[in-house]
Amino acid sequence: MTEPLLAVDGVSIAFGGVQALSEVSLEVRDGEILALIGPNGAGKTTLFNVISGVLRPDAGDVRFAGRSIVGWAPHRIARAGVARTYQIVRPFGRLSVVDNVAVGALVHARTIERARNDARDVVGFVGLGAYADRPASSLTLTQRKRLEVARALALRPKLLLLDEVMAGLTPTEMDGMAEFVLHLSERGIAAVAGIEHVMRLVMRISHRIVVLDAGRRIAEGDPAAILTDPAVIEAYLGAPLGIGG
Amino acid sequence: MKRAAAVLAALVIVVLILAPLRLNGYAINLLYITVLSIGLAYGWNIISGYAGYFSFGQIAFFGVGAYATGLLVADLHWFWMPAAFAGGVLACALAIPLGYVMLRLRGPFFAMGMFGMAQMVRVLVTAIPATGSGSGLFLPPGSGITEVYYWTLAICAGAIALTIWIDRSAFGLRLQALREDEQVAGTLGVDTTRAKITAFALSALIPGLLGGGYALFLTYIEPDAVFSSRLDLQSIVMAILGGLGTVWGPLIGGLVMTQISEALWARFPQIYLMIFGGLLVALLIALPRGIVPAIADRFAARRNA
Ligand SMILES: Nc1ncnc2c1ncn2[C@@H]1O[C@H](COP(=O)(O)OP(=O)(O)OP(=O)(O)O)[C@@H](O)[C@H]1O
Ligand SMILES: [Mg+2]
Repeated sequence: MTEPLLAVDGVSIAFGGVQALSEVSLEVRDGEILALIGPNGAGKTTLFNVISGVLRPDAGDVRFAGRSIVGWAPHRIARAGVARTYQIVRPFGRLSVVDNVAVGALVHARTIERARNDARDVVGFVGLGAYADRPASSLTLTQRKRLEVARALALRPKLLLLDEVMAGLTPTEMDGMAEFVLHLSERGIAAVAGIEHVMRLVMRISHRIVVLDAGRRIAEGDPAAILTDPAVIEAYLGAPLGIGG
Repeated sequence: MKRAAAVLAALVIVVLILAPLRLNGYAINLLYITVLSIGLAYGWNIISGYAGYFSFGQIAFFGVGAYATGLLVADLHWFWMPAAFAGGVLACALAIPLGYVMLRLRGPFFAMGMFGMAQMVRVLVTAIPATGSGSGLFLPPGSGITEVYYWTLAICAGAIALTIWIDRSAFGLRLQALREDEQVAGTLGVDTTRAKITAFALSALIPGLLGGGYALFLTYIEPDAVFSSRLDLQSIVMAILGGLGTVWGPLIGGLVMTQISEALWARFPQIYLMIFGGLLVALLIALPRGIVPAIADRFAARRNA
C-alpha cells in the first residue's frame, strides 16, 4: 500500500473546556475529493486550522506526503503543497486582486513580475479577470470567495482545503463551484471540501465522505453508504439531509 | 507628467546639494532638521507603514547610533564617517534579536512594548560609564554642519531609494500581505517572521545611521537629546500625514509639516503650537489616509470618469 497524500492520525485539540476535535483520523489520496461534513461547530474549520499549521494539536499527528508536519510554520506547510481557503473570506483589502493572488504565486515565481503574470492567469481562470487591478475590498462576497480559491490555487497545491466553499453562493454558483472542484481532481489536485448542508452537491463531487459531529468522526465511507448511516441521520436530525441546495 | 516630475526632482536635488553654500546658520540648521525628520519618517514607514507594526520606539535606534558614534569618535578617535556608519550597523544588528522578541506582540501591545523597549535601551546605554552615564558625552570638534548635512541628505536619499525598491519588490508585497492579514499571509507561503524581522532591521538601520550625524551636530550628547520623543513623534506624524505605507508619504508629509510649522512660528510665536495642533487634526480628519493616497484617489477617479 502506498502512503496517502494526507494522513490525519488521532488529532485532538481543546479550547478551554470545548473539545473541538477528539482523536480524529482521516486519509486523503492523490487527486481524491473528500467531503468533510458535519453540523455547525462540528470541528471542520478547526481541522483545517490544524492541517494548515495555524493551530497545533494537543495530540495526534498530521503527515503530508509521508512527512509529519505537526509544528511546522504555516508558510512551510503551504510551500510543501497544502493550500487552504477561509470560511469567512479574508482578502488583503488594500491590495489589488492580482497582488492578492501574486503573494501565493511568489512561492514558485522567481521574480515579482512572473508572480504577477501567473497571478493574472489564475485570476482569469476563476473569472475575476475584469477586476484584476481593483482593490480586493471592492469585490462582492461571491467574488471574494473566488479570490480565496484563486489565492490558494496560485500556490500550485497538491492538496486544497476548501472551507465551506458553497456557503453564501446561489444554486447556480454552487453548480459552478462543483464543476470547478471536479476539475481539480482531473488535474491531479486532491481536495478536502468542508461543506455544511448541501448534500446534493456533496454526493456529486465527492469520492468519499467523512462526517464530523461535536469533534468526533462519526462516519466515513462512500456517498451512498453515508446517506443511510444511522449515526449520520441522528447527527443531522432536523437538518435537510439530501434535499438541501 | 512623468517628465515634469523628473525635472522637478532634479531641480530639488540640485537645490538641496547647493544649499549649504548659500544658507545662513539658522536656515541650514532648519534644513538639516527637516531632512533628518524626513529620513526618520522613512525609516519608521517600513515597519509601521508597510508591515503594519506601529512602533513608538524606533528612536531607540537613533539613540544607539548617536551614542555609538560618540564613543567611537571621542574615545577611540575614529574618523566621524566610519563611526556614524558603524552606529547604523550596530543599531541594525541590535534590531534582529529585539525584533525576534518584540514582533510577537501585535497592535497596541507592540506599539506600547516598543515604547517600553526604547526606555530600556536608553537606560542601558546611559548605564555604560563610558557614555558619561546620565551627564552626557562631549565629542571632539572635527566635523561641521556641512558634513553632517550631506551625510544626512545621503542617508535620507538612500532611505527613499530603499522605499521605492520595497514598494516594487516581492519583499514589499509580502510585507503588505502580512500587514493586511498575517495569518492568511502565512498560509499563502509568506515566512512572516523573517519578513517582519527584516523590515524591523531596516527600520532600525536608517535611524541608526542618522543618529551618528545628530551626535556630531550636537557635539554634546545626553540621553534626553538623542532618545528624543519629540523627534520620534514628529517623524511619525509626518509619515501618517503624508500617507502610511506609501513611497512619497514621508517626504510630502515632512515638507508640509515643516512649512506650516515655520510659517506659524514666524507669525504667531506664542500660540503657534496650538494652531499647529489644530491644523494637524483638521488635516487628518479631512484626509484620513494621508495626503498621498488622497491625491492618488483623485487621479484614479479622473481616469475612470
Ligand atoms: N479559536 C477558538 N477558540 C475557542 N473555541 C473555538 C475556537 N475555534 C473553534 N472553537 C470551538 O470549537 C468548536 C468547533 O468549531 P469549528 O469552527 O471548527 O466548527 P465548524 O465545523 O467549522 O462549524 P461551522 O459549520 O460553524 O463552520 C466549536 O464549538 C467552536 O466554538
Ligand atoms: Mg467552519
